[in-house]
Amino acid sequence: MRFTLNGRPFEFDGDTETPLLWVIRDAARLTGTKYGCGIGACGACTVHLEGAAMRSCVLPVSAVEGKAVTTIEGLSPDRSHPVQRAWIQKDVPQCGYCQSGMVMATAALLAQHKAPTDAQIDQAITNLCRCATYQRIREAIHAAAEQ
Amino acid sequence: MPRPNSKDGGYERAAPSQPTPARRTFLKTSLAVAGGVLLPLSISDTLHAAESAAPFREINDWIRIAKDGHTIIGLSQSEVGQGVYTGLPQVLADEMDADWRQVSVEFVTGRDAYRIDAANEAPQQFVGASMSVTMFYSRLRTAGAQAREAFLSAAARRFGVRATQCITRNGRVSHPATGRSLGYGELVDEVALMPLNPHPRLKPASARALMGQALHRLDVPAKVDGSAVYGIDVQVPDMLTGAVKMAPTLNGKPVAVTNQDKLRAMPGVVGVVLAKDAVIVVAQSYWQAKKACDAAQIDWDAGSIVIDSDTILSQRQRALKDPHAVTAAKTGDPDALFTSAHSIFEAEYHSPYIVHATMEPVNATVHVRRDEIEVWGPIQGQDKVRWTLSALFHLPADKVIVHTTFLGGSFGRKYVPDFVIHAAVASKAVGRPVKVIRSREDDIRHGFYRPAVSARFRAVLGDDGMPRALHARVVGQSLYWSIKRDYFEKAGGWDETMLDGIYDLGYAVPNLLVESVSLPQAIPVSFMRTVGSTSSVFFLETFINELAHTARIDPVRYRRTLLRDDPLALKVLDATAAKANWFGRPAHGLHRGAAYCLYTGRGGAFASYVATIAEVRVTEGRAKLERVICGIDCGQAINPLLIRQMVEGGIGFALTNTFKSEITFKDGAVAQSNFADYPLLYLAEMPKVEVVIVESDRVPQGCGEVALPPVAPAVAEALFQATGRRLRSMPLDQPLAS
Repeated sequence: MRFTLNGRPFEFDGDTETPLLWVIRDAARLTGTKYGCGIGACGACTVHLEGAAMRSCVLPVSAVEGKAVTTIEGLSPDRSHPVQRAWIQKDVPQCGYCQSGMVMATAALLAQHKAPTDAQIDQAITNLCRCATYQRIREAIHAAAEQ
Repeated sequence: MPRPNSKDGGYERAAPSQPTPARRTFLKTSLAVAGGVLLPLSISDTLHAAESAAPFREINDWIRIAKDGHTIIGLSQSEVGQGVYTGLPQVLADEMDADWRQVSVEFVTGRDAYRIDAANEAPQQFVGASMSVTMFYSRLRTAGAQAREAFLSAAARRFGVRATQCITRNGRVSHPATGRSLGYGELVDEVALMPLNPHPRLKPASARALMGQALHRLDVPAKVDGSAVYGIDVQVPDMLTGAVKMAPTLNGKPVAVTNQDKLRAMPGVVGVVLAKDAVIVVAQSYWQAKKACDAAQIDWDAGSIVIDSDTILSQRQRALKDPHAVTAAKTGDPDALFTSAHSIFEAEYHSPYIVHATMEPVNATVHVRRDEIEVWGPIQGQDKVRWTLSALFHLPADKVIVHTTFLGGSFGRKYVPDFVIHAAVASKAVGRPVKVIRSREDDIRHGFYRPAVSARFRAVLGDDGMPRALHARVVGQSLYWSIKRDYFEKAGGWDETMLDGIYDLGYAVPNLLVESVSLPQAIPVSFMRTVGSTSSVFFLETFINELAHTARIDPVRYRRTLLRDDPLALKVLDATAAKANWFGRPAHGLHRGAAYCLYTGRGGAFASYVATIAEVRVTEGRAKLERVICGIDCGQAINPLLIRQMVEGGIGFALTNTFKSEITFKDGAVAQSNFADYPLLYLAEMPKVEVVIVESDRVPQGCGEVALPPVAPAVAEALFQATGRRLRSMPLDQPLAS
């Protein structure tokens, strides 16, 4: 089956029930998208499916046939996406493991709401961060919205 | 200065002997110059390092420099999120007068310079207990100053002048009188051969260029574009991936897999391996392994130990009243005071088992060869891994090569190498490198938990409302009894981690009795961020808040009286109260609580002071945490950004402990299994955090754990002010608003 991965055609010939996460990590060898829970609860595996945030650990790859998937590696070639720039400016990450998912969830939020309110951020960003970098995440989302 | 050239001996020298194909291909994907190095700083740095790899010269255990001035600083402490990747090199670079823009960081391992003395254990390389700064501050300053001195004298010789006429700055030595200058890189060939001064002169504080600066974290760029390599991301050629299924019960063991033929016929499956405590299915890819693992029909020996949370709690409740307890501290004559007192104030507190729940579940990649074992992964204790595999496979410890990646959280968890054993056993069985990834479910069900404890506090108050006598007893499963028995027995049968902040009480109480009762359990336990104080300081500080309330004294003033002999404590308390405008009137509907802690680390390794004020609003029964103010004195700030991060995140971490975390046991099994039933704090629940870094002239002290202990008692007090309900058990019985 085929889909578009970071702007390029990608073909996967394995089990079509494989979650998209493991196709991205093992078949496409793009490891920026992380496994955290396998039940769609933590958001470490967040990618964009046709531009919208999607938790890839519970999505069978068959569901993305013919569609466009973007991972953290495809967000920008040089960390120049406003969300990445804001994350760097605000020094958001600690351990960093959840941050690919956070960046992707935020990029999708900003595509929908150019300047999200705190309430919109609360509602949209339900990814988990065990280091609890949430304060800087919120600041960085506002900073990215201003760029 | 020893400069070993072994494969695992710190920096590998340039021009390595023919690497195996496996190693060569793997290293292409990381910044690595071999020898236990694989943290990519960024793509451009990776290229930079690769281009100039050959001419790097080693200056000492910590520094290598290329002719173009590119400086690699060794990092011996695993980066688990705490910022050592930036903060420790910053200390060295400051003393060295290095050009920070030319600095890269590499993980180093295998030399004594990287080992530290953990209490009562052999020296070892590990991260833990907020001790990196305490243990390495002086070593890294010396290493940097040594290099600086050598560059200075090498340049002076070239200039034909005295070293005292030259100055160093930003990676260059200059002779101001003539305007000549040379970069460190241009001097590296001479310096690499020079004997180094073991006691170089260290900079005065006034000459510092990098120390104290809020420099950006060096690891951030790689953590926002997906290029940072964690254990789970390791790729080595010919590698297979294993999924693991552990017993439904805590102490269970697999006896047999009855459908092995069927599993082996599934797509991609290469092997089915029985480990002592788990079944591992090895396949070409993770999902193939996972699917087969889920399909495995396994006969389990459930284990003979029946563990049940209700039973454990009633054991603790009995022990609170038991006539027998071990005395950990005693001053004055508390017995006389309690016997003769007209009224005794008393309260009981409880704290559950909790688990680390790192975002990156435990995993490791291991290749067991005949005479050598290679490990890649999120390792918190490099020597612990060496010792463990060396014993298991009967190889000398130096034949276990450990490559440390970034750690997707650890908080103590990844010091325990159980997950490395799984990968090693799997690799041995299939004869190839294997990465074994534990599922979130088994990560939670088979963790190494922070023990549950209960406490009973009693006090006799004087006419001034202040405690004249205090009796504290903490009971439960002792961490040290479970994993450091010698240490426990040497101390006389009690465990400092159960009594943190109490046995070494900083408050002026004239008559004090501190006791504990150790209740052995067959539950695996280990260190978890801030160890026992996440319970003991909640108990103590809630009790102090209750005493202040009983005495009708403002709880901050109450603590000021108790801390009157400790100027550093008062300074932190006052700075925090001032920032929170504590003595002013709170906004309408806002309720506040305060708490304090002197955190001294394991075995009193350091002393960091912290005070916390929480502001909450309760609407329709739900609590909104509006703001938490935290003042901290952790000595001189190496990098204020890193301190702020540790405090902000530490408060969030503590709030998860306070409101959400509880592991329970039923019929020998852990009842929780994923974030659905072991939830973490959400962004929407995170309060605004304000950090006050109190100026200090003490040398830098521990920081990573210290913000946690006062959070729960400060919040619980604010909730009491709001609702009139005393919350004495964690997790607090109080829903949060988002």
